[in-house]
Amino acid sequence: MTLAPADRQEPRDGSGPDAAGPGEDFVRRLKEYEGRQAGPPTTGRDPVNAPMIRHWCEAMGDAHPAYQGPDAIAPPTMLQAWTMGGLAGHPERGAVARDELFALLDGAGCTSVVATDCEQEYPRALRPGDEITFETVIESVSARKRTRLGAGHFVTTRTEIRVDGEPAGTHRFRVLKYAPDLKASAPEAPAPTPTPDPAPAAPRRPRPVINRDNAGFWAGVAAHRLLIQRCTACGTLRLPWLPGCDGCGSPEWDTVEASGEGVVHSYVVMHHPPFPAFDPPYAVALVELAEGVRMAGNVTGARYDEVRVGTAVRLEFLRVDEELELPFFRALPDRGATRGATRGATGGATGLPMAAGTELPPLAIPVTRTLIVAGALASRDYQDVHHDPELARRRGSPDVFMNILTTNGLVGRYITDRFGDRAVLRSVAIRLGAPNHPGDTLVLSGTVVSLADGTAEVRITGTNALGLHVTGTVTVALPDTETSG
Amino acid sequence: MNPARSRSWNRNRMNRGGGLGGRAAVVGIGATEFSKDSGRSELALAAEAVRAALDDAGLSPADVDGLVTFTMDTSPEIAVARATGIGELSFFSRIHYGGGAACATVQQAAPAVAAGVAEVVVCYRAFNERSGRRFGSGVRQREPSAEGAALGWNMPFGLLTPASWAAMTARRYLSVHGLTPEAFGPVAVTGRRHAARNPAAYFYRRPITLADHAASRWIAEPLRLLDCCQETDGGQALVVTSLERARELPHPPAVIVAAAQGAGRSQEQMTGFHRADLTGLPETAVVARQLWRASGLAPGDIDVGIVYDHFTPYVLMQLEEYGFCGRGEASDFVAADALPLNTHGGQLGEAYLHGMNGVAEAVRQIRGTSVNQVPGAARALVTAGTGVPTSGLILGADG
Repeated sequence: MTLAPADRQEPRDGSGPDAAGPGEDFVRRLKEYEGRQAGPPTTGRDPVNAPMIRHWCEAMGDAHPAYQGPDAIAPPTMLQAWTMGGLAGHPERGAVARDELFALLDGAGCTSVVATDCEQEYPRALRPGDEITFETVIESVSARKRTRLGAGHFVTTRTEIRVDGEPAGTHRFRVLKYAPDLKASAPEAPAPTPTPDPAPAAPRRPRPVINRDNAGFWAGVAAHRLLIQRCTACGTLRLPWLPGCDGCGSPEWDTVEASGEGVVHSYVVMHHPPFPAFDPPYAVALVELAEGVRMAGNVTGARYDEVRVGTAVRLEFLRVDEELELPFFRALPDRGATRGATRGATGGATGLPMAAGTELPPLAIPVTRTLIVAGALASRDYQDVHHDPELARRRGSPDVFMNILTTNGLVGRYITDRFGDRAVLRSVAIRLGAPNHPGDTLVLSGTVVSLADGTAEVRITGTNALGLHVTGTVTVALPDTETSG
Repeated sequence: MNPARSRSWNRNRMNRGGGLGGRAAVVGIGATEFSKDSGRSELALAAEAVRAALDDAGLSPADVDGLVTFTMDTSPEIAVARATGIGELSFFSRIHYGGGAACATVQQAAPAVAAGVAEVVVCYRAFNERSGRRFGSGVRQREPSAEGAALGWNMPFGLLTPASWAAMTARRYLSVHGLTPEAFGPVAVTGRRHAARNPAAYFYRRPITLADHAASRWIAEPLRLLDCCQETDGGQALVVTSLERARELPHPPAVIVAAAQGAGRSQEQMTGFHRADLTGLPETAVVARQLWRASGLAPGDIDVGIVYDHFTPYVLMQLEEYGFCGRGEASDFVAADALPLNTHGGQLGEAYLHGMNGVAEAVRQIRGTSVNQVPGAARALVTAGTGVPTSGLILGADG
């Protein structure tokens, strides 16, 4: 986090505009910044250089050979680090739109900042000696949102990074500028655990509608069994559950457990309107189970545009939030009647047979105070909340927490660890949830979503003791991987 | 119960549908303007439409003793009666299942006037469906009633909008018949062509091409924006009375030749994913069977079709269920203009009034006053919302 000057940290009392909340006029003023250049085109403080690369790799524990030796490239996840002003900032820049916007938000009591999203693409590698230039546009400023940290506004920027005029990376970044909710953590009294979650409460899927007629089905789902009703009078199977048979009218029934095999009978790709907890476009399939009944569900192991009528699927159960597990249907690549894009490959480092649906072995990373501070410094992020526990507490956090650039670097390391020495990151998009505080353990895990033409798309999640720290998607190029079937 | 015997009993029961044919007529039609923001209450829209329909019929509120609307309507019969000076009511009824109720309002008014239960019945539907509660914005939760639970089998997976439910059926239809989503284009183009000539239509003077359809953005694949009907604020009312009384009124009566409701086996509301064949509309088949049998007519006898068009694929499937063409052939049938279709512009082009504006257009065709008049039109088929329990009408010229 680079965006808030380090000297603005005195929390306001409750009488400021943050207490009542700024009105529509204020939001209109904020919206005027949308589409504006955040500042003038800027040159990186330093050329891409081997010492900073080495510090980064040491902090992240990243031993990828591509980042070492005479032909080293910079870890792609360092992209933002090359744009950072460091402790001194970018001295040649005058007052710029982003500073004005942040001052406006500071004036409304939104004095704290936390990064929530980082989406990067890496069209070309950066090498020692490259001089980067970059330009940033303010894409959007949200209306006032309530979050667990306090009320504030999300600011999204997009930065284009170039070398010799050629595109070298894009970097979309979203921060929450918020008025810290300090009721539970006055400066003298550090907040008790549990800690606040720096991201807004995660939206949840609509709940199943459970009543006395279908409670048995959802109890079955909780036990990882998909139960089909069977009429004991005529033997007709039925799903959805009903208290009587559509074939013979009998109210008597028992259940049979679905084998889990099925075929996509029809499907929809949802684009509009967007709903919380869903990320369009997404596919919803109507699966005809081997038993002959049908059920709607989401498909794993295939991209939304790879689902077809006839795709063979197998039932699985996935947890979608702390309260809800749902049946999902995993596409079976070898038996898909019309699927074309997904092929198998062998992961270089692990020797795993890789295919859409492969789950990568997890990686556990102890979150030490040293890692948090080393990661912040290697990414040239001098925000107080990443190194100064006392100032972190004044902003409503019980202790320092890991910055988003470090999480980004660790996600990149996890993927190249798992895919081997020749793997090259193409894009990393992450969203942060529960913070990483000292003493915790971050466990990264991933699932291959697609594998085609030497490129894998991997969904990653990272959990800690507080819950979900990070979710995201990584694409990684795999030159010369073996492909089969 | 023996299933075969049960089916044959059902067939006999359906044969009774012919009883009301020709004894009642639609004698008045009235609507508000069709807009995206009416600026007034749903009750005000309903009352305005009812007054306009009575004016058109040459009747006064005091003549009315029956009101019929949709269960989804927020303006109760008694509120409309109070707001229009109708006074006492001897017949009032509401039909469930969204747009599937459209023709059923007339289907229930007709026997009421034929049997003398009421003398003059007004059917109405009014809503601020665009500026108020938009159906297209989808659902997030439902009560644990039987109706709510039925939708609950799909909601957790992100099937939350009418378009998403229709799209599941549409995809199966395309897949089975080897078609692409462009097959839906002729329905959209036809509706907008007619709307372009209709000053009451929202899309007046704004026709589209097949290329426009194919370039419009995805909503719920395989449905594009131009496959989905509008969302509208407005009201529409219809006046039904006996044929004898109709003959004394200013306009030529639109005789109710046949009217029917239908729900299919394993029927659901929009999420009928569990019936044997997703490529047809069993509820429409039930209605079609009754209408043809009661009227003694066949598809070739129909001069104009007002086919409910909330989503274009359902127009194709209805034309096939009514027997205008073979399975999988309806897109070519529409493209060839083989039947004058949705001459008001449909709900794609004129307005989304839950099908009630379609009944009004059929009345205009029988009167000879449509902006896209089919010369000498004597028999009009009108259908109602599909994917849900539905209804249909055949209206005809007197004599």
